[in-house]
Order: sequence, then structure tokens, then C-alpha cells
Amino acid sequence: MLQPVLEVKNLTKKFGNFTAVDNISFFIKEGEILGLLGPNGAGKTTTIQMLLGVMEQAAGEIYYFGKSFTKHREEALKQINYSSTYISLPWRFNVLEILDIFAGLYEIPDRTKRIRKLLQEFELEHLVHKPFYALSAGEKTRLLITKAFLNYPKIILLDEPTASLDPEIAVKVREFLKKEKQEYKVSMLFTSHNMSEVEEMCDRVIILHHGRIIDENTPENLAKTISECQVELVISDTKRAIAFLEEKELPYENNRSHFKLTIDEKNITDLLMLLAQEKINYQEISINKPELEDYFIKRLEEANQ
Amino acid sequence: MNKSIIIAMVKRYLLVMRHDLNNIGEVFYEPAMQIFIWGLASLYIKNATSQLPHIVVILLSGVVFWMIAANGQYSITVNFLYELWDRNLVNIFASPLRIREWIISVMIVGSIRMLASLIFSIILALFLYHTNLFQYGLLLIPFVASLLMTGWVIGFIVAGIIIRFGHTWQSLAWTALPIFAPFSAVFFPVSTLPLWAQKVAAFVPSSYVFEGMREIIFTNHMSFDKLLISFALNTIYLVLSILFFVFMFRQSKKLGLGRLV
Repeated sequence: MLQPVLEVKNLTKKFGNFTAVDNISFFIKEGEILGLLGPNGAGKTTTIQMLLGVMEQAAGEIYYFGKSFTKHREEALKQINYSSTYISLPWRFNVLEILDIFAGLYEIPDRTKRIRKLLQEFELEHLVHKPFYALSAGEKTRLLITKAFLNYPKIILLDEPTASLDPEIAVKVREFLKKEKQEYKVSMLFTSHNMSEVEEMCDRVIILHHGRIIDENTPENLAKTISECQVELVISDTKRAIAFLEEKELPYENNRSHFKLTIDEKNITDLLMLLAQEKINYQEISINKPELEDYFIKRLEEANQ
Repeated sequence: MNKSIIIAMVKRYLLVMRHDLNNIGEVFYEPAMQIFIWGLASLYIKNATSQLPHIVVILLSGVVFWMIAANGQYSITVNFLYELWDRNLVNIFASPLRIREWIISVMIVGSIRMLASLIFSIILALFLYHTNLFQYGLLLIPFVASLLMTGWVIGFIVAGIIIRFGHTWQSLAWTALPIFAPFSAVFFPVSTLPLWAQKVAAFVPSSYVFEGMREIIFTNHMSFDKLLISFALNTIYLVLSILFFVFMFRQSKKLGLGRLV
């Protein structure tokens, strides 16, 4: 296996008696997007702070590009960047001034060209002289992401990067992130509460709960572990439909002619055959396969028990 | 130590000065008001009594030189506070910036800010009250350097407290320095202080600068011992204050810098 871009070994953070991050280990390969999921207070932000070097861990080791982060902090940070909805940028500075300062901090060689390219990419060109405080929430988020890509990062930590973006821009940002991954093999650690976004973006996810990793797999594999599907039917003959479902002891919910059943994926064909045999016609049908969100909710319920 | 990174941070804090009128106030408005008030007060005292012929130059030198320490201190604590107010602290310390590069950059900005304020104040004092503060000649340089160091010392101590304990302590940025003014004997000789305060003043480096300054006014010469003591104390305090700041920064990192934004 190629050397991971980021490797975390037994990372632990304690605040007094409270363990915020409990002995977690994971890695990110080159060009891989790893989703870091978990409810509020699961330890995601604490983990990210340690990965950025703005919080000291109680135990464990972080390795970037095979080197200890503690020993090679500056070297690693030159190749890392970060964006979060929860931070800001110098309030009174205009867009160009902000990017110029950070380009200096990261010692970008072709500063003007790089800034211009990213401004174009994130549609911020017309805002270069606008102060940060005067930008809309979406524009601020785009500027934070622009800042995060200034130094051609090999790995980028994104804490809910699209949280305040309108759908059209969020799609563009996701497309940009995918392109960076494809073309430049940029690795990413991605947190989001938007599960469909995580499914779309992430190659692998880890789920944190009370500071521990409770699951690690691809979004598809995690979703597949739930065998139950939701079948939604619109049946005008509600009386016969209810009688049929009760006779077959199939759990259901209904709102007038709209029926919602939760059944095992492999039993869907049988259900449809039986409906046909009983001559119960349905006007509409939709089958909802389990998604990462269903798995996430189920897994947290289990973990809380 | 990376020069480009230091330049970027110096640029960042110089831009703060340009964008925020509060800074302009601290660099120009505050010294101007102090010069107006103390200049007029000293003229009044001079006219009222013949016993204090040098009162104008003593008071104006006190005002102008005390602003050197103030500018040195503000440049450290207030620039640090800007990172908290802007919620930018994680951004800068998650970059390749080292703490020592940050320290150097705020010291450079402090020097620039102090020079701007000092030149403006000297010209204003000359223009309004015909008081030439260049009369100290080359001694002006060690006076300025020593007072700037005093400002930095207090600046790093206050910034250290704020980085560890957060915003709740931010008022120290404006209240810490005036505590040292009486012990610095800015406007009066140390001998006028009560005995216990004189003992405290012996450990305050700026008291030697102001004593020396008055010595020049009265006798036209000054004992270099005072200047040396002032520099020796300042050097010791500066090293200790930087170590304190770095220690508090590390303590703060244990809790996570993200909590401060």
C-alpha cells in the first residue's frame, strides 16, 4: 500500500475527566476523501483541531506524509489547508488583501496568478475590493474555500464546507473539490451533516460517537447493511388495501390512499405479486433504498442504547 | 525564522492600522490630545510660578515618551486581540507561522507604529509649544528603545493572559500600562513617591529613563548608569515576558485555540 497522506494512531484528547477523543486511529490515502461523521459533541472538531496543530493531543501520534506532525509541523502545514464554516477572516480587509496575506503566509511562488485562478474558479472576481464583512454568507464561505486552496494543498480539512451555500454554488464547490481530487490527487477530510453530500463526495467514512470510531467503511457498504427498504404505494381502494396488509401482517403507515411499508428488499417482488393476485391496483409506486443517513441514524440509536 | 512569513504578518497588522480608525486614534489622536492638555497645563504652571522653569519640556517629554511604551504595548496586545475579534486565530496558527515569527512581526509593527506616533508628537510639540524634544540629541535613541521594550514587556504579559483566559481579560490591553505610570515617575521625580513606591520604582525600567530625561534638562548631562540599569532590567523582563507568553500559548493549545474564536 502507498504511504498514507495522513495517518492517525491512537489519538486521544482529554479535558479533565472528560475524554473528547478516545484512542482513534485512521488514515487517508492520496486522492481519497474521508468523511468524518458524528453527532454534535462526537469529537469531530476536536480531532480537526489536533490535525491542524492548534490543539495538543493527550496521547497518540499524527503523521503527515509519513513524518511525525509534532516534529515536522511547519513542513506539514505548508502542504495542508483548512476551511470551516465556524471560522472567519480579517473582517475589514477586502478579498484581495486577505488572499494576499495568506499567500504570503504559505509562501505561494506565483501568488497573483494563483489568486486570480481561484477567484475565477469560485466566481469571486467581481468582489476583490469588497471588505469581508460586506460579503454574503455564501461569498464568505467561498472565500474561505479559496483561501484553503491557495497553497496547492496535498490534503485539505473541510469542516462543513458547503453549509451556508445556496444549492447552485454548493454543486459548483463539490464539482471543484472532485476535480481537485481527480486532477491533483488532493486528499480531503470532510465533515458535513448533509448525508447525501457525504455519500456523493466521500470514498470512505468514519463515524465518531463519544470520541470513538464506531464504524468505518464506504458509504455504500454502510448503507447496504440495512436490508429494509421503504415502499410507498398510492392505492385508491384503501379498504381492500388495509384488509390485505393486515391479513398478511405487514407493518404499514397510511395517509388516505398513500401507504408506506418498510420491508426487506428481497420480499418486494413477493409483495407486488401478491397485490397483483389480489387484484389490488396501485396508481403509483416508489421504492426507497436505504441510504447513509438511515444507517447513520440507526447506528447512533444502537450506540446510544 | 522565515522572512516571507514575517513580512506577511507585518503587512497584515499594518493593514489593520489602515482599516481601523481606532488605530489611527491611538497613534495620532491620543498623543495629540495629551500634548494639547499637558502643554496648556504646563504653560499655566510656568506662568503661575517661577520655581519650575522647565515644566513645559518636562511634562511634554513625559507625555510623548510615555506614548512610546503605550504604542509598543498596544501593538502586541491589540494586534493579538484583532485575531480573536476577526476569528482568524486558527487560520494563522494552522498555517506554517511559528510563534517566534508572530512575536517578531508584532515587535516590528510596534516599532513602526511607535516611530509614526513619536515623529508626529515631536513635531506637534515643536509647533504648538516651541518645545524641541530633539534637544536630547543621540540619547533619544536609547530612551526610545528602552521605553519601547517596557511596552513590549507589558504587551507580552497581557497577550499571554488573554490567550490563556480569553476575551474576558481583554480590557487589560488598555488598563495594564497605566498601573506602571506612577512608578515610572513620568512627570515627577522618583523622590516624590512614598518610600514603598520608590522601592517598586527601582524595579521599573522606565523610571530610570524619565529620571535620566529630567537630569539632562536640569544639568545638561546624564549618568549612563541609569540607562544601563534600565536596559538590563528591560532585557531580563523582555526575555521573561516572552517566555511567559510562549508558556501561556502552549497552555492554551492544550485547550485548543479554536475555543477562542
